[in-house]
Amino acid sequence: MTKEEVNGATEEEQHAQSKKALKKQQKEAEKAAKKAEKQAKLAAEQQSADEDDFAKDRYGLPAMVQSQEKLDRALVRVQDLTPEKADQLIWLRARVHTSRAKGKQCFLVLRQQQFNVQALVAVGDRASKQMVKFAANITKESIVDVEAVVRKVEQKIESCSQQDVELHIERIFVISQAEPRLPLQLEDAVRPDGEGEEEGRATVNQDTRLDNRVIDLRTTTSQAIFRLQSGVCQLFRDTLTKKGFVEIQTPKIISAASEGGANVFTVSYFKSSAYLAQSPQLYKQMCICADFDKVFCVGPVFRAEDSNTHRHLTEFVGLDIEMAFNYHYHEVIDSITDTMVQIFKGLRDNFQTEIQTVNKQFPSEPFKFLEPTLRLEYTEALAMLREAGVEMGDEDDLSTPNEKLLGRLVKEKYDTDFYVLDKYPLAVRPFYTMPDPNNPKYSNSYDMFMRGEEILSGAQRVHDAQLLTERALHHQIDLEKIKSYIDSFRYGAPPHGGGGIGLERVCMLYLGLHNVRQTSMFPRDPKRLTP
Amino acid sequence: MSMYQVKTVCPEIKIDLPTCMYKLPNIHTRQENSCSPDHALQNGDVDPAVKALEARQDEILRKLYELKAAVEGLAKTVMTPDADLDVTVGNTLSSQSSSCDIFKGSPNLDTLLGKDLGALRDIVINANPAQPPLTLLVLHSLLCQRYRVLSTVHVHSSVSSVPPQLLSCLGPKHADSYARHMFQLGFTLIWKDVPKLEMKFSVRNMCPIEGEANVARFLFKLLAPYPSDPVLATLVDGWVDTAFFQLADGSTKERAAVLRALNSALGRGPWLSGPEFSLADIACYCCVMQTGSASSAATNVQRWIKSCENLVHFGPAKVLLK
Repeated sequence: MTKEEVNGATEEEQHAQSKKALKKQQKEAEKAAKKAEKQAKLAAEQQSADEDDFAKDRYGLPAMVQSQEKLDRALVRVQDLTPEKADQLIWLRARVHTSRAKGKQCFLVLRQQQFNVQALVAVGDRASKQMVKFAANITKESIVDVEAVVRKVEQKIESCSQQDVELHIERIFVISQAEPRLPLQLEDAVRPDGEGEEEGRATVNQDTRLDNRVIDLRTTTSQAIFRLQSGVCQLFRDTLTKKGFVEIQTPKIISAASEGGANVFTVSYFKSSAYLAQSPQLYKQMCICADFDKVFCVGPVFRAEDSNTHRHLTEFVGLDIEMAFNYHYHEVIDSITDTMVQIFKGLRDNFQTEIQTVNKQFPSEPFKFLEPTLRLEYTEALAMLREAGVEMGDEDDLSTPNEKLLGRLVKEKYDTDFYVLDKYPLAVRPFYTMPDPNNPKYSNSYDMFMRGEEILSGAQRVHDAQLLTERALHHQIDLEKIKSYIDSFRYGAPPHGGGGIGLERVCMLYLGLHNVRQTSMFPRDPKRLTP
Repeated sequence: MSMYQVKTVCPEIKIDLPTCMYKLPNIHTRQENSCSPDHALQNGDVDPAVKALEARQDEILRKLYELKAAVEGLAKTVMTPDADLDVTVGNTLSSQSSSCDIFKGSPNLDTLLGKDLGALRDIVINANPAQPPLTLLVLHSLLCQRYRVLSTVHVHSSVSSVPPQLLSCLGPKHADSYARHMFQLGFTLIWKDVPKLEMKFSVRNMCPIEGEANVARFLFKLLAPYPSDPVLATLVDGWVDTAFFQLADGSTKERAAVLRALNSALGRGPWLSGPEFSLADIACYCCVMQTGSASSAATNVQRWIKSCENLVHFGPAKVLLK
């Protein structure tokens, strides 16, 4: 009360003060009094609230789930929250995507994989003020159990995947808490290409993403990419199985480099050393010689190439095909291209939502293809390139920029993102490639391209030990090193051919992404070995 | 034989044949050697005599068919004013291979399409499966007679499914189709979701050609040079435009008017523009058939439709019309 005393003193001392000043002082005094009153009230309220929070058992941090009890509670999936479920009381487990407190209510967005829904905690007869405060303080990415009533909404909620309903939360429990500081924000990680820079908003760079892959993989884009990748694998298996192929498993630790010795990883193998398989080629061919007729395998392939490009990885998933044919290796091409077309069709028809999701962040033209697949010959490709002003020799290999250019030319004329280039010059292919019967300069080999980038390289293989020896000598390969390979053709081998595709590359090119690391879950390149 | 022997009922009679008729060789003469008497008749075996009789019947039927075909061929040449009599008669028995060369000039692909750079000269046509380009199919079969054509049909990913007859509309696959370099010309038909038919040839030097009529003009020039007479050339062009703008896309009234005009034009000659079969006939025929106005057409048009149908090249288009 010293203030009033002082006030009184001043009043006495300066009696001749103007009326205006007096009024001002009075007002100040009133204000102070009000403030004090308010504070007292607040304190009282708090006290009373602490004492009787009627919703105390409707929220909180339960003990860690250690399988103490087996609840028979049915949890609803976020994607199943449709207007048909309106006015039902349901349980749900999801992540807190965002939360926003506003006076007496708190809006949460709850996320489950790529689906999310808006939820609301509001002070009322079910939720107390403390409960709203608790909900507002739950950290992003925490996992919560929620009991809520589904309500239809008047206006569509544009920001959520479930646009027609929202949840009115009656109970909320935190199952697993996330740390308050996230290494990257999910909103930043899904911001479309280029948009962040324009508006001065944050974007997440590739390395941050890959260092914190667990969080990055939670984004809708990553979810869609890897769902699509799983689809590619599934379609590959289904199509080939239907065609009568047999899935085989091949060893990854091998004793000799299968395709030259340059880009092979050496691992210590007890007292000696071994190599990591660069391709299952040799084993596929041995299976053909063992009368499996048509085989495929899905497995890791290792390449010790120290190239830091957008499309090279040191470990990737290889989808490999090898088959015996009757009279012409085009039977093999037809089988492979038909498999690819079936994959593309399956993706087009069954993965449209995933494709759209990825497109939101990384816009690209839809993947176009022809059925049956377009097949061009190498000489034709050369003529097309020459017409476009590229100078190259008849037996030169295509450089990457020329491949891209050719892809554009083909796309312009045929409007397809997928085609086969047949009859490569023999000089640019490995020694086991079958030469062309009519022109010794060319070979029975082919590459397949998606959006102008090579995804598959294959050929009819030499299945005659004599010719194989000649070809190996011509390439100055030490016969001792490939003796077992040549020997496998000594006891009768059917004519055969095949090829191998990189799963990550196919996904990247199908979606029109620009880096193969985006389609590899935990990519391995010369500079990255973790996570 | 364990059957009764029966004596000849009727003794041999000498008949005086009239001499005012043509002499014909005995058609029964060829049976002789096929009947061997020492052939034992086994259980279930057919009497060799019956066999011989059957063979004779087959032989007669075959001769009759041949005769019928020959007559039909002759009828065709009568009905088709342009067809070369000698060629047609010579080939009607195997009418599939008949290569009645209706076009006289023989254009050179090098001068028409530019120098060969080692690549297959591939004509790419994007067509909507909802509107199959009948004119181009007729032109395709004409091209196949003139050149070694590699014909391929593709379905673009913008179209989910295409009826099977559209996939086989360019006929069976060529036996050499595995070697693209062995062909003079490529004809690649892509069923695609396009608003307007388009053709691409050399993407570097040529813009795409839009519209069935224009593509037809391009293809026709590969077969025969346009008439050197500018009046005639204009006439052909005029009919092609009439066909596509007033028949295919026109109202009922316009169609009726065109049919009347066709009738009067065909009254003056066998074909629409001058004495020779031309693009005008192909275009008008296809559009008349496509709009289904053939049945209501007047006599001259009916006769002309028959003439067109007598040419084998209209086969693929007719298949699609059914």
